[in-house]
Amino acid sequence: MNNIILEKIALLFLRGIALMSVFLLLRGHNSPGGGFIGAIVLAIGFIFYGIIFGSDRIERILYFNTRIWMGIGLGFVLLAAVWPVFLGHAPLTGLWYTGNWPLLGEIHLGTPLIFDTGIFIGVAGLILSVIITIMEVLKWNT
Amino acid sequence: MDNLLSLLIALIFLAGFATPLIHKLAGKKTGLLLAIVPLSLFIVLLLELLQLAPRESALLQTSVSLLPGMDFAFRIDGLSLIFGLLISGIGTLVLLYAAFYMAKYERQAHFFTYLTLFMGAMIGLVFSDNLMVLFIFWEITSVTSFFLIGFDHHVDKSRQAALQALLITGFGGLCLLFAVILTGNITGTYVISELLQQSIHLGNHPQYYLILALIILGAITKSAQFPFHFWLPGAMQAPTPVSAYLHSATMVNAGVFLLMRIYPIMGGTMPWKYALMITGGITMFLGAFFSMGQRDFKRILAFTTISALGTMILLIGIDTTSSLKAALVFFIVHGLYKGGLFMIAGIIDKTTGTRDIYDLHGLGRQLPLTAAVTLLALVSMAGLPPMLGFLGKELIYEAKMQLPDVAWLVLPLSVGANIMMVAISITVYYELFFRRKNKAAITLKYRERELPFYFLAGPVLLAAAGLFLGISPAFLELPVGNGLFFMGALTGSIQLSLWHGFNEVLRLSIFTVLSGISVFMLRAPITRFIQKMVRWFDQWPLPTLFTQLINKYLTAAAKNTNLLQHGYHRFYLLTFFLAVIALMGLQIFRITEIDLPELAASPLKIHVALLLLVTAGAVIYAVFSSSRLSAILAMGVVGYGIALLYLYYGAIDLAITQFLAETVLMVLFVMVIYYLPAFAVLSSRKSRLRDGLISLGVGTFITLVVLKAKFLNLETPISEYFAARAYTEGHGRNIVNVILVDFRALDTMGEVTVLILAAAGVYSLFRFQIKTLKKKKQNKA
Repeated sequence: MNNIILEKIALLFLRGIALMSVFLLLRGHNSPGGGFIGAIVLAIGFIFYGIIFGSDRIERILYFNTRIWMGIGLGFVLLAAVWPVFLGHAPLTGLWYTGNWPLLGEIHLGTPLIFDTGIFIGVAGLILSVIITIMEVLKWNT
Repeated sequence: MDNLLSLLIALIFLAGFATPLIHKLAGKKTGLLLAIVPLSLFIVLLLELLQLAPRESALLQTSVSLLPGMDFAFRIDGLSLIFGLLISGIGTLVLLYAAFYMAKYERQAHFFTYLTLFMGAMIGLVFSDNLMVLFIFWEITSVTSFFLIGFDHHVDKSRQAALQALLITGFGGLCLLFAVILTGNITGTYVISELLQQSIHLGNHPQYYLILALIILGAITKSAQFPFHFWLPGAMQAPTPVSAYLHSATMVNAGVFLLMRIYPIMGGTMPWKYALMITGGITMFLGAFFSMGQRDFKRILAFTTISALGTMILLIGIDTTSSLKAALVFFIVHGLYKGGLFMIAGIIDKTTGTRDIYDLHGLGRQLPLTAAVTLLALVSMAGLPPMLGFLGKELIYEAKMQLPDVAWLVLPLSVGANIMMVAISITVYYELFFRRKNKAAITLKYRERELPFYFLAGPVLLAAAGLFLGISPAFLELPVGNGLFFMGALTGSIQLSLWHGFNEVLRLSIFTVLSGISVFMLRAPITRFIQKMVRWFDQWPLPTLFTQLINKYLTAAAKNTNLLQHGYHRFYLLTFFLAVIALMGLQIFRITEIDLPELAASPLKIHVALLLLVTAGAVIYAVFSSSRLSAILAMGVVGYGIALLYLYYGAIDLAITQFLAETVLMVLFVMVIYYLPAFAVLSSRKSRLRDGLISLGVGTFITLVVLKAKFLNLETPISEYFAARAYTEGHGRNIVNVILVDFRALDTMGEVTVLILAAAGVYSLFRFQIKTLKKKKQNKA
């Protein structure tokens, strides 16, 4: 596919959607959104990109293959689960830091965000893994 | 000091896991390096033993807190110290011994890993103060011993022996698990110290017989008692260091340890006594009897081990203070001489290349040190002074003579077994070391001087220990007394001495020795007789029967699986939906009769009605459409319609998720649809009617359930709790998200793991196809 306009638009679209997905992830705790929704949005962005350029290009952008990304996601989830244990709480207890920062105002950061990030990475990885596998089997755009 | 012990036990496991690394650095010195760990443990335990003095009732306790409510508590009393000292001491010698013995084997790193982990598990087993932890270590010993027995995995026999050992001890392990759970349920605690402190005895509980049967099954499978004894001779396939370790201080002795540990809680009742006395008595006699008919040195030793274990189980079953004392002392005796004898068997195997005692002779001149050490060990096995074995046997006789009602049966069996022990000891020594004039001298691969000192250290030190403790048994009084105290004996202090006067026991011993010598004189006809007996018993070869049983079980399982897992997706779905209908129907009619709510409750808005109409139309179109693409698009309309409904009723997160999921699904479908075969009607009218009826049924019931759920509150709904706590405790205003990542995070974690596993499954299904595709592409490029 040698359509430069399409290529640029697809890249722009991917970037925009990736930004959007991270935004959805971060706002998830207070407004509609969250890791799962963000992950699907991100995956849709990549699928769009992959339909145009083929699955190899997705893999090149991702740097690791999708199975490693799934593992990283699960790692985050596990981290959020195990962290409280070392501080004497039950596993998966939410630990929170609340502070008042000059520019950001009052912020709450906690292990649930790590957990949600894990879900985000894991779910995005798993959707892409399935899609890429299917694309490769179907020899999509190669 | 206390924490040093827990650290050392952790260090054993660490050393086990680090062995591959150590092996890379140390090469053939791996065994020597690793031996430092159990050696230091041995020294620490000796120091602990000194701490125990001067009180017989002292108890040292130490625990490491890992998680709240999950302490790794260790219980250090006389019993665990005796076992721990033998396990770590013999473990050190075995590692040293293996360093030379295994030098030419491949996969040494594997071997030392398994051996070290096995050692750690065994140490953990005897020191754990929690029945659950004990069970976990018990299972680890089963698994690691599986790898050790089957170490020569290219040999069919080893694999079979390993599998047999694993299945039998694994079965026993399951029994133990059930027993532990039942005990925990009844008493409310798994902690052994608490059980002992509250002096709980389960004897009067209605479930006592069940628990006892399970515990005894666990113990006798592990300790290779009749009728499960056959896995132990099979386990001779293991390399000799492993056999030396399994037989002397670990594995098979775990069953004995378990019975001693559990004795104060459930021992001493009539079924306990008789079950243990019967199985122990039979095993003791059969083991000793069959050892005479064997030719392989290791097999002879294996059968004597079976006999010795039978003796210990029998002694525990006799259930008097003196019998428990005898059992503990005999465990030490047996560990010392059996470890040494197995190592000697290995030395002879290494130097001559055979273990058949009838092929060997006249080794006394060539291997003088080995001959001397063997003599000491065999004297101990035969129960002659001045070795510790003499003391052990005297205690056993004493205990058995005091038995009022069954002495007439137990005593002859026991004397018979001991006569065979004496005879086999003399036979082995005579065949191995005496010179025969009419035979040529055996050529050796190594001379004794060429063997490294650490290879010979094991049997020498063990024999020396047996001799030393035999001459001055007072050293054993403290740990044995302490062990007995916690087993519920009245008095903790005991006296041990080699010479105890010319009494009935000694006369019986003299009779045993004389008979043993006469059996040795007449060994040719007796051996022939025993071999005939063995052949007669081999009409029902237990190992083969066991294998057949397992094979039959596997065939039955395969049949069952084929019946249930037929591989037709539509029938799986049918089964699933029918089951759902049946279960839901049952529940709906069970709770109350169905009462439909009045529709007038909320006025139907016109746009909602339109949405429903479009969605319903799309469903009907999807069902009757003869084009796949349009059917899929229609299903997409249904999905978006539902999402809009969610949105309308305020479930924003749900709506977004539904939209997105629907989109991904559409993309997937559209990608795949090119590759599907043309649409065709293959099913008959009848089956379609059936499917239609089932789907209608499922739909109806789901609707009914939803209606029911709306109007029926069995419990106070938890949603208000979440709504109230979401911001104050979860720091979030989006309740759905707070529930997902905080309140119900465990569920989410499980779901995400399942999803990722599914993705991994998809990948592995297509992996080969993808790999070949990529290769083709590379070849083209």
